[in-house]
Formats: sequence, C-alpha cells, structure tokens
Amino acid sequence: MRKNGRFMVGLVGVAAVVTYLIWTGVSETMVYYLTPVELMERVEADPTFRDVGVKVSGQVVKGSYERVEGELLHRFIVHDLVDASVTFPVEFRDALPDTFTDEVEVVLEGRLRADGVFEAATMLTKCGSRYEAAPEDLATDGTAP
Amino acid sequence: MTLLGEFALWISLPVALWGMVLGYTGGRTQRGDLVLSAERSVYAVFGLLILASAGIMTAFLTDRFDYYYIANYSNRELELFYKITGLWAGQRGSLLFWALLLAFFSSLAVFLNRSKNREFMPYVAGVLQTILAFFIIVLLFADVNPFERLGFTPANGQGLNPQLQNYWMTIHPPTLYLGFTAFTVPFAFAVAALLSGRLDARWIQLTRRWILTSWLFLSVGIVMGMRWAYEELGWGGYWFWDPVENASLLPWLTATAFLHSIQIQENRGMLKVWNMSLVLLTFLLTVFATFLTRSGLIESVHSFAQELRIAYIFLGFMGSVLAASIILILYRLPQLRSENQIESFVSRESAFLFNNLLFVGAAFTVMWGTMFPLISEGVTGQQISVGPPFFERVNFPIGLALLALAGIGPVIAWRRATKKNLQRNFMTPVIVGLVAAATIWIMGAHHPLALVTWGIGAFVLTVIVTEFWKATRARARIENEGYATALFHLVSRNRRRWGGYIVHVGIVLIFMAFAGAAYNVDERFHMVPGDVAEVTSPMGGTYQLTYEGLSVSLANGQRNLMWQAIATISVVKDGEPQGILTTEKRRYTTQEAGAPPMTEVGIRSYVGEDLYLILSALDDIEGAVAAESDAQGFDLQVLIKPLVSWIWIGCLMLTAGTLIALWPSVDRKRLAEAEPVAEPATAGAAD
Repeated sequence: MRKNGRFMVGLVGVAAVVTYLIWTGVSETMVYYLTPVELMERVEADPTFRDVGVKVSGQVVKGSYERVEGELLHRFIVHDLVDASVTFPVEFRDALPDTFTDEVEVVLEGRLRADGVFEAATMLTKCGSRYEAAPEDLATDGTAP
Repeated sequence: MTLLGEFALWISLPVALWGMVLGYTGGRTQRGDLVLSAERSVYAVFGLLILASAGIMTAFLTDRFDYYYIANYSNRELELFYKITGLWAGQRGSLLFWALLLAFFSSLAVFLNRSKNREFMPYVAGVLQTILAFFIIVLLFADVNPFERLGFTPANGQGLNPQLQNYWMTIHPPTLYLGFTAFTVPFAFAVAALLSGRLDARWIQLTRRWILTSWLFLSVGIVMGMRWAYEELGWGGYWFWDPVENASLLPWLTATAFLHSIQIQENRGMLKVWNMSLVLLTFLLTVFATFLTRSGLIESVHSFAQELRIAYIFLGFMGSVLAASIILILYRLPQLRSENQIESFVSRESAFLFNNLLFVGAAFTVMWGTMFPLISEGVTGQQISVGPPFFERVNFPIGLALLALAGIGPVIAWRRATKKNLQRNFMTPVIVGLVAAATIWIMGAHHPLALVTWGIGAFVLTVIVTEFWKATRARARIENEGYATALFHLVSRNRRRWGGYIVHVGIVLIFMAFAGAAYNVDERFHMVPGDVAEVTSPMGGTYQLTYEGLSVSLANGQRNLMWQAIATISVVKDGEPQGILTTEKRRYTTQEAGAPPMTEVGIRSYVGEDLYLILSALDDIEGAVAAESDAQGFDLQVLIKPLVSWIWIGCLMLTAGTLIALWPSVDRKRLAEAEPVAEPATAGAAD
C-alpha cells in the first residue's frame, strides 16, 4: 500500500506538471480572436487594449495592396467580413504567402498601433487549396472567377 | 463506369449493415453460417468500394466536369499523374478513399484469420462493418457525395491548386490515411475481446503487427507532411501547430503510448483497463483527425467553410462509440483486474508508466490548445486562441522528459532496479551526455533548450549503442562469430527489441534536428544581376551568393503553367564553388486574376545544414515576364536551417527499425518461449 501511495504521488506529480504547463502556457500566449468590428469597439471602450496581442480576421480590400520596394514591407487595407464599411490599414513585414490575393480572407496576428495602423506579425490566408467554387461560378466559363 | 461506381456505393451500405448485424448475432449465437456470411460481406464491401473509386477515377480521366468534385479538382490540362491522384485531392474523394482503405484492411484482417482465432472473428467483422457503414452513410447523406452532379457541364474544370501539385502532397495524405485506417483493426479486436470475454493478452498479440503497421504509416505520413510544408509553403518551416497537423499528431501520441503500454500487459499482466482505454482513445482520435481535416470547425489554413451537418454526424458517431465502449469496459471490469502490482518506483514498469502518462499528457495539451478557441468561445462567448508559442512552451518539457525516458526505459530492470543496476547502466551515458553538452557549449552554442536536447540525445544514443555493443560482444564470444555476423544474428533473434532500439535512435536524431532550429538564420537582400550576398552559417563557414540573372520561360498553358521566372544564383561556400541554385516565381493558368504568382524555393542540403533561398518578390513582374533586362531586381530571402536533413534521416531509421520489428520471425516458436520470461535488466524492451 505504501508503495502504491508513493506511486500515486508520481502520477499526481505528472498531472500537476502538465496542468501547470497548460495553465501558464495559456495565460502567457493567448490572443483574442476578434472581428474588425469587435476590435474597434474594444479599443474605443478601453484604449489600453491596443497593447494586447490580438488576432483579427477580415478580407483584403480589392486593389488596396501595395509593396514598399527594397524593404520587405507590404501595405493593404482589410475590411470586416460582415460589415464592409469597417476597415483599417495593415502593415506586414515579411514574405507574403503565395495564397495572398486581392479580396482574400486573412487572419492577422499583431496589434493596432495608436496611429490606427494594424501591425501584423503573422498572416494566415484562408487556404486557397481547399477553395471550392459554388456551382454558379462554374457555370460561367469553367475557369476560376 | 462512373454510374456503376455510384451504384456500387449505394449497394455497399446495405451490405455493410447486413455484415454488421450478422457479425454480432453470429458471435452471440455461435452460428457458423451467419459468421461466414458476415465475413464475406466484408469482402463484398471492399469490392463495391473498389468499383466506386474506379468510377471517380474514370470520371477524372475522362474529364467529366458535370461532376461537382471533378469540376473542382481537375481541368483538361492537368497532368495525368494528378488526375489519377485526384481521388484524394479534395474532401469528398478523400472520404471515399478513406472508406476504401478501411475496407481493404478489414478484408485483409478477415482473410488472415479465416481459419484461426475464431472466437474473435464474428465480432471483429461486426465492428469493422459498423465503422464502414458509418463512413458510407457520411458519403451518401452528409452533402459530401463525390458522385454529386452539377446539373450542367462546365466547359472546363477549376484545376488543381498549384500548391497541391507536389510529389509529397500526393503521397502524404494516403500514407496518413493508411495509418488511420489500419488502427481500426486493433480497435475491432479490442472490442471483440470485450464482447467475447476472452480478455487475456491474446488480442494484443494478434494485433501487435497491425499496431506497428499503423504507427509506421502515421509516423511516415506526418514526416511527409513536414517535408511538403518545408519544400512547398516557402517559409522554411515544417511544422506550424496547425489544427490539421495537430489532428494527425494526436493519434500518433496515443498510439505510441499504447505501443509501450502493451508490453507491460504482455510481460506483467498489468494495465488491462488502461490498454483498452488507449486503443479506444486512439481509434476515436483517428476518426477525429479525419473529421477535423474535413470540416471547418476550427480556424485553420487547411479547413474551409462551415459544414455543420457533417460535424453533427461525426460527433454523434464518436459519442456513440465512446459510450458503447465505456459500457463494455465497465461490464467486463472484474475480468480486467491487474495480475501484478508495481513493486518499485525505480523499475521498468514505472518508466513505461511515466512514458504513458507523458504521451497522454502531451496529447491532452495538444488537444486543449487545438480546441481552445472553441472552449473559450463556449464558456466566455469570446474566442481566444493560442498559437505555436503555447504548443512549444508546453510540449518542449514533455518531449524532453520522454526523450530521456527513451534512454532510461530500455536498460532499467523490471520490478525493482538495484543501485548496482543503475550504476552499471547509467554512469557512462550520463557522463557522455554531460560532456557532449559541455563541449557544444564551449564551441559557442549557448541556447539552453538546444543544449539540453543535445545532451539528453547523446545520453540516449550512448545507452543504445552500449546495449548493441555489449550484446554483440557477448554473442561473438559465446558463439565464436565475427562481430558483424554476431550483430546480424542478435538482431534477427529478437527483432522486436533491437528494431525498437533503432526506432529510438531515429527519434533521437529527429529531436536533435528540431533543436537545430534554435540557430536558424534569416537574412534579406535586394538583388540585381551581379550582386553578391554574404551569409555566415552558425555551423561555421560563409556562403557567397551571386545573382547571375533572371530567366523567363513562357509555358502558354502547358501543365497549367503560364510562365516561370527563374532567378539563378551561384553558390560559393568558403571559396569552394557549389554550383547553382534557383528560386522562382510561377504563374498558373488556374490562379485567380490578380493573384500574385507562386513561389518555388531553392534548397541545397548539406549534412549539417540546409541553404534555403526564397524569391520573396520581383520588383516589376510585368517587366520581368516581358524579359526586360532592367527588370531583373528582386528581394531575396536567405535562410540557413541547421540539421534539417537529420529529420529525414531519423525518419528513415525509424522506418527501418519498425520494419525490422515487423518482419515475420523465422524462429517464432523459440521466440515465443523465450520472450514472456523477461531476463532482468535487458530483454523484451522497447518496441
């Protein structure tokens, strides 16, 4: 029985360590996942929210993309997926993913600077590989819209 | 042919249901005719699903764009190779392919046991048919029927996404699916053991090779996915903790735990309930992985739009399987009592147990992180997500502890390790590990996590090499053989043990390669022809990269290519010419208008590091395509990725080791007699 008891201490120890790792891991690395509308509301209600890391999903405004030559800097504007009138400019300083296109859905991680520009540290595009056309799109000419 | 395929898919459902009902009733009533019919129905479903898959393939090859699936994943210009592999290019085809592989393994399991293990087989057939029936129902009724028609015929299809037109991407999904589906067989045997009441280690012995096969496919499939990401996604990474990647990692973690814990049951008759739970958990996770890849439940680069119906069907199925299995386990609980108890904290049983807790713990953390956005949204209404930093922070310590156990487990004694046992086996390896870490520190690498990883790696490698050396020397002396012959005989006499050690070596190499990422170099340059970029490697040495110029070729739609702009860079390392390396932009006819071209990276692999060149952006795309001589400027990203090759080398070792362990033993009887009684300190170790 004593041996089993000692063993239980080991088990509980492992469980406790794993729980501790998850707990601290979550609290130190979590980011809020917001829509642009929510982000704007949050920042308005509480300006310190600017310093919190957030993830924002939105859609790239058609024709807004520009590249700053010579330094890996990309600028574009993103609008809310539902309310297209809510927009904000984005700066992204890294190689652009191949799936980045006009009007692509993106998930940006970074923070909204005081000047209203969202500085994105990472960018995910909704993967074009799994993009399936709606039947109506296929009807037109068979090539991609 | 395609119509016949669709018909075959519909017929397969009643056949599978028939087999399911007969399997269970045949097992209950012990009626041979019912059982035979159930087993034959497994073959029948396999045959029907072959027809269905052939139907889809024919549709691909004959450009039947009136089918929704074909229109979305092919077009006339697509290469033949990708038309053939189109069966698993998208969601609908993949699910059919999944069912086909499952039917194949089911038939194989039934065939191999057609005249033995009769107490299990009726139930095995029943369980396999239940799962097959479920997948066929999904195919037919969850809006994912690959045979769905559009109602009109588009002039051409959408074509296949260029990023999927890669060698690794055509073999990575099938390999993973083989791993997922093969695990269904051990699960079926476990349920059959519960239903039939034969609850000794027999079901484990019968399915050991199935488990290993499944594990091998899972491991190789995961590494292939890493290779694909590394070559094709163009940012030099191989793992992103993406939900879909995590989904394939989860069953791997629990299957690995299971692989270790069954050895305790075989050797010491303990952990019976635990093993049942692990096999159930792993099976559910393989279904979960299929479901996650194929639904938009969680934000991911791989997933797409919400498909709620399929989500409910999958969750309902998983819930039912879970509930039914738990009830069965509870019902048999009295017969699942442990025959022994753990005697000491310092023993091999204990090492195995910690191994299991850590693997399951790791699986839990990965699951938690993957599901966290959903959990937080459910609880607080606010989606909060955790990214790669979370998974790394949590899993690095767990991974390192597991790595250390890979060195401790094989040589610590069963039951109770004496002080002498510990000293004899661990003194040298621990010293070697410390010396290795210290040497690397003196050489200038001070990253703490990397140092710990390499130190532990050196410790484990020393343990394993010592084991090989001691046993080979002993055998050479006793049998009077040469060392090479002795080593060969040694390994072939106990493939399981020595194969397992080789797998461990592979895993250690992979871990040590991961740690190389602490020294990744990432530099950017703007280049015009004649420019030289200099990059110094953390492993010593300097690369001089000279931009020779841009060459443009117009493909005019062949293989769906419109044009390729290829930057040629000549590489000189420490004064030694290394030839040229190219990185390019490509535009495909199937890309959307206005979309930027795709990037192809240039990779040169050395033993110590990879040189990885990315054409980030062309200054002037139109000018470059028009071959204007002053439009050749571009942004070059140069990455140096230490030790990456060792991931692939480690995977080869892992494969070799698993194959050795899997290979049918010549001398099976003698082995069977020798194995159950473990010699203290050494025998019957890792698998």
